Amino acid sequence: MNWKRTFTLLEEKHAQKQSSRRSFDISDAANIALFLAAFVGIWQLVFLLKIWPAYLMPSPAMVITEIGDLIENNSLPIGIGVTLARLAGGFAVSLGIGVGVGLAMVKFRGFGKTMSSFAVGLLTFPSIAWVPFSIIFFGFNDSAILFVVVMASVFSVIITTYSSIRNIPPIYLRAARNMGANGFALFRHVMIPAATPSLILGIRQAWSFAWHALIGAEMLITTLVGLGYILSVGRDINHMETIIATMITIFVIGIIFDRIIFRKIEERVRSRWGLDQHTE
Amino acid sequence: MITSEYRQSATAVLKVNEVSKAFQYASPDSQTHVVLNRVSIDVKDGEFVTIVGPSGCGKSTLLNIIAGLESPDSGSILVKGERKVSTSRDRIVIFQEGALFPWLTVLENVEFGLKLAGVSLDKRRQAARHFVDTVQLSRFANSYIYQLSGGMKQRVAIARALAIDPDILLMDEPFAALDVQTRDLLHNQVLHLHETTKKTILFVTHNINEAVLLGDRVVVMSPRTGSIKKEFAISLPRPRDVGSPEMTVIKRQILNELEEDFHFARRETRTETIQ
Repeated sequence: MNWKRTFTLLEEKHAQKQSSRRSFDISDAANIALFLAAFVGIWQLVFLLKIWPAYLMPSPAMVITEIGDLIENNSLPIGIGVTLARLAGGFAVSLGIGVGVGLAMVKFRGFGKTMSSFAVGLLTFPSIAWVPFSIIFFGFNDSAILFVVVMASVFSVIITTYSSIRNIPPIYLRAARNMGANGFALFRHVMIPAATPSLILGIRQAWSFAWHALIGAEMLITTLVGLGYILSVGRDINHMETIIATMITIFVIGIIFDRIIFRKIEERVRSRWGLDQHTE
Repeated sequence: MITSEYRQSATAVLKVNEVSKAFQYASPDSQTHVVLNRVSIDVKDGEFVTIVGPSGCGKSTLLNIIAGLESPDSGSILVKGERKVSTSRDRIVIFQEGALFPWLTVLENVEFGLKLAGVSLDKRRQAARHFVDTVQLSRFANSYIYQLSGGMKQRVAIARALAIDPDILLMDEPFAALDVQTRDLLHNQVLHLHETTKKTILFVTHNINEAVLLGDRVVVMSPRTGSIKKEFAISLPRPRDVGSPEMTVIKRQILNELEEDFHFARRETRTETIQ
């Protein structure tokens, strides 16, 4: 039939239009290397100019040696392990409570309205301000730190869950209901995937809130382990190399989580949905 | 009870029975706008009925009520003599925007209805491939929706509906957003599908050409009264030529019906019935 042929022609044209996806390429890596080299170079220069004494402004080499020492005496590996475990624990609790409350808000309209203004208020509340309350309530222990991390991130998860589901285009829900989706099937096969792009954005934000709060809490709530604790020890013994070495570690962990883990997930979802067309 | 009703309506697979619907405006004086006023349509098994009317005449609302996505204020919907109050897989809507799921591939979209029905992966994959093939999109089976053109999206939507094997296809201005050439191709494809699958099709459009090209029967709706103004049975063989003398006569008559409404609306001081 004639129209069948025409379709094939149209499709071939369309297929040519589709461009292949690019991911991380060489020039990106070169740019990053160049930037790092420039940064370390300027740092070294500032050190050599001797504007500040070495105990205030150590050289890159001194900091790298310190990182080696901290790894060797195990304080950095243990610190990273403990801090990440706290982050995972606190963030898991946040996700559980946040998604649960967010869904309840969608389900019960009145609760949703009240809770959303309450949660937005607490979203802007500085997480460090929870520390005194937490210390008195829990003592100097992991629970106190977890509590601060949860308080810092749970409201972001709540708001994200609530708004992501409420902002699903109604046409998806209508189409799905029309095809026989109801109750849990509608939730599982339509609402969750439809809300995913915006859920990921919100969860990424919640993660960064949790991370900020965690390091702050570790510095203030002394438990003798964790990256925040190493920072506060560095301050107590006036050892700038330890402080900068730990800061670099914290920075690298942040980069790994945000750029590599969250970015990859987000890119995957966005490319499926075709949300990155404008960058091509 | 049910069987006697079915017999009364003879071979009507779908019976729209005195359906009325009004919307309340959110304005302070809260006027009600009657969208549908005691609308009744009988659709025979395998019939292709087009409903034509300008925007705001309630034709999409009628389709949504038939699908069970909205409920009427009064009246009822009977499918094979059985009263329907909610959605079910015997009446599937093809929306103007396609309403395909961007998180799924073409194939996964087409098998979505079967997945909900609990059909095993192998079986539903096989069925989905068959229907993707039916709409000539095999090469795009693993593409995501954003990679498709508007016409291809509507063909996926048609395949997705066919995979569910409904008795009635409800098409809500499915080709309104497409260019003329693509629309012509899709008209031919829909007619071909109607011929081969013998599905009952209810097709809503504001385009008179489209209505007379496709329908065995054209139902003209009036936005002024929210009811059916007139029905035209078209027995001309397909494929039809919209420029032929017979078609021109029918189109003129339909246009007259619709224009009458507009003249009336212009004379009225309150124009809220025309949106």
